[in-house]
Amino acid sequence: MSLKSERRGIHVDQSELLCKKGCGYYGNPGWQGFCSKCWREEYQKARQKQIQEDWELAERLQREEEEAYASTQHPQGAQSLTFSKFEEKKTNEKSRKVTTVKKFFGASSRAGSKKVLAGKLREVQETKAASPISRQVSVETDRVSKDFIEFLKPYHKAGQEIYKQCKLFLEAMHHKRELSIEEQSEYTQDFYQNVADKLHARWKVPPEKVEMAMDQIEKYIMTRLYKHVFCPETTEDEKKDLAVQRRIRALHWVTPQMLCVPVNEEIPEVSDVVVKAITDIIEMDSKRVPRDKLACITSCSKHIFTAIRTTKDEPASADDFLPTLIYIVLKGNPPRLQSNIQYITRFCNPSRLMTGEDGYYFTNLCCAVAFIEKLDAQSLNLSQEDFDRYMSGQASPKKQEAENWSADMCVGVRQMYRNLDLLSQLNEQQERIMNEAKKLERDLIDWTDGVAKEVQEIVEKYPLEIKPPNPALAAIDSENVENDKLPPPLQPQVYAG
Amino acid sequence: MSGQRVDAKVVMLGKEYVGKTSLVERYVHNRFLVGPYQNTIGAAFVAKVMPVGGRTVTLGIWDTAGSERYEAMSRIYYRGAKAAIVCYDLTDSSSFQRAKFWVNELQNFEENCRIYLCGTKSDLLDDDRRKRGIDFHDVQDYADDIKAELFETSSKTGQNVDELFKKVAEDYVQFTSFQEMTEEKGVDLSQKNTPTYFYSCCHH
Repeated sequence: MSLKSERRGIHVDQSELLCKKGCGYYGNPGWQGFCSKCWREEYQKARQKQIQEDWELAERLQREEEEAYASTQHPQGAQSLTFSKFEEKKTNEKSRKVTTVKKFFGASSRAGSKKVLAGKLREVQETKAASPISRQVSVETDRVSKDFIEFLKPYHKAGQEIYKQCKLFLEAMHHKRELSIEEQSEYTQDFYQNVADKLHARWKVPPEKVEMAMDQIEKYIMTRLYKHVFCPETTEDEKKDLAVQRRIRALHWVTPQMLCVPVNEEIPEVSDVVVKAITDIIEMDSKRVPRDKLACITSCSKHIFTAIRTTKDEPASADDFLPTLIYIVLKGNPPRLQSNIQYITRFCNPSRLMTGEDGYYFTNLCCAVAFIEKLDAQSLNLSQEDFDRYMSGQASPKKQEAENWSADMCVGVRQMYRNLDLLSQLNEQQERIMNEAKKLERDLIDWTDGVAKEVQEIVEKYPLEIKPPNPALAAIDSENVENDKLPPPLQPQVYAG
Repeated sequence: MSGQRVDAKVVMLGKEYVGKTSLVERYVHNRFLVGPYQNTIGAAFVAKVMPVGGRTVTLGIWDTAGSERYEAMSRIYYRGAKAAIVCYDLTDSSSFQRAKFWVNELQNFEENCRIYLCGTKSDLLDDDRRKRGIDFHDVQDYADDIKAELFETSSKTGQNVDELFKKVAEDYVQFTSFQEMTEEKGVDLSQKNTPTYFYSCCHH
C-alpha cells in the first residue's frame, strides 16, 4: 500500500510539467511553474509593480520626513502657513494616514514621531522580506535621509534651504540621466561649489561647519545617485575594470623585492598590518559615498605606513610608500578599481580630493594603478626575456629566490619547490624523448624510402624479362628418339618356386 | 578620519635621495635624525599651519617618489598644486638636470603652480667647497629665467628651511588675495580645483 502511494507521489503527469501559462513549453518549479519566457514576462510585470510601489512608498516617506522636519523646525503655530495648507490636503485623504500624520504633528515631542518612523521602517523592512526584490538599498537611503535631516536641524533656516537645494538638485539629476557621465559629474561639481559658496556667503556658516555640512550633503545626494552614476553603462568603466583585474592577475609573480618594497612580511605584526591594508582597499568597493571610499583608501595607507615603520624603524617617505601601495594593490586585486577611481574623481567634493590628506592617498592610488597598467620589464629592473617568461608563466621568480633563502622556509613550500623542480626536469626529459622519438620516426621513414628506392633502381637496371623457352633445351626431351632404343626399365618379377 | 582642511597644495619634486623627505621632516618637526624616528608614522603627507600676516594658512605638503620608474606618473601628483619645491642635491649635478625636467613639466602643464628651486645638503659644502656639483651662478641664472625663487638649504643644520616654506606661504597668501581683489564679483564655476573658502581660522 505504502509503496503504491509513494509511487503516486513520484508520478508526475505530463501536463504538470508544462508551463502554467500553457504555451506548450516545459515549466520549471524554480520559475513557479512557468517556462523561462513566460516567467520573464511575469517577473517583469511584478518588478514594474514593485518599482511603482517602491516609488510611492519613497514619496510618501519623503513627504512625511519633510513634514516632520517642518514640524520640528517650527514648533506649533508660529509657521502655520505651510502647516495648515498641509492639513487641508491631508484631511481629504484616508483617515489612517491622517492619524499617522497627526502623530507627527502632535505636540507630543520628537520621541513620538521617531517611534512612528521606526514603525514605518519596520513596515518597509517587512515588505522587503516578503518581496522577491531586495529593498536593502531603499532602507539604507531612508536611513541616510533621516540622518541628514537630523543633521540639518541645528542649521535652522540654512538647513531648510540646503535640504531644498538638494532636493532640487536630485530632481534635476534625475532628468539628466540620459546625459553623458561627464556632464552629470560637472553638474554635481557645480552644485558642490554653489552650496559651499552659499553656506559661506549667504548663510554665514563658520568654515568648520561648512566642511561638515558639505560632507553630509555629499553623503545624502551620492547615496541616492550611486546606482545611476557608479560604473554607468554608457562608459567603458566596466571594461577597464576587467582589464585591470586581468592585468593584476597576470602579474601575480611580482615580488616585493622587485618593487623595492621596504616591508618585511616575515615579521608577524607587519604581515598582520599588510592584511589589514588589503582588507581596507578591498572594502572600498562596498561603500557608496565617495568620502567613505576615500576613508577606506586613507585607512589602507595608514596601515601601510605602520607596516613600513615597523620594518624600517623610521618614518616612511613617498619613496617607500608608493611601491608598498602598488604591492598592496597587486596583492589585493580590489574589485572594480577603475570604476571606483572614476566615481570618486567625478563625484567627490573637489576641495577634499585636491588638497587634503585623503586627496594625497587617492592620488597615490591613481598613480599605483597607472603604474600597474604601464608596468614593463624596465620598471621592475628585469631583463625583457625574464619579464616575458614570468608573464607567460614559463618560469617563476619565486623559485629562484627560494634557493637563496631556503634555510628558514616551511617544509611544505620547500617540498613544493622541489616538486616543481622535479616536474620541470621531467618536462625537459619528456621533451628530449619526444624529440628522439620524432627523429627515430624520421629515420625509419627515410630508411624505408631508401630501401624502396634502391629496389626500384635495381628493378630498373635489371628488368625482369620472361623469355620464350630455349628450343635447344626443350629438344632435349622431345627429340630424344633414341630413348626408344633403350631397354625397358627393369620390372620386378615374381618367381614361383 | 583625517578631516583637516588644507588651503594650498605644495608638492615636493626631485630625484631620489636628494633629501625631499628630510627637508619636510626638518621643517615640520624641526629635526634631522639619522637614527630611529619617533612618533611619526609617515612624512609622505603633512599639513602644516603657518601664520602669515595676521591670518593662518594650512599648507598640505605632498612628498613624491623620486625614482625614475614613476616619472611617467608625476603629472598626477602636481595637478592642482599651488607651489612646487623642486629639489636637487648641491653636490650632484645629475640631480639638477632632473630638476630641470620637472621645471619643464610644470611650466607646460601646471601654469598656476609657482616654482621654488631648492638646493639641498648645503652643509656638505661647508666642509668642502669643492664638493659643489654645479655652479651657483648658473643655477641663479636659470632660476631668473624661469622666474623661480632659489634657496640653498640644509636639513641637517636647518639653514634656510623655514625661510623656504615661509616664502611659499607668503606668496600663496599674496597671490590669492590679489586674485580675490581682481575677481571680486561672481563665482567662476569653471575653476573647480581651487578651494573656495578661505578663512583666518583653523581647527586643529
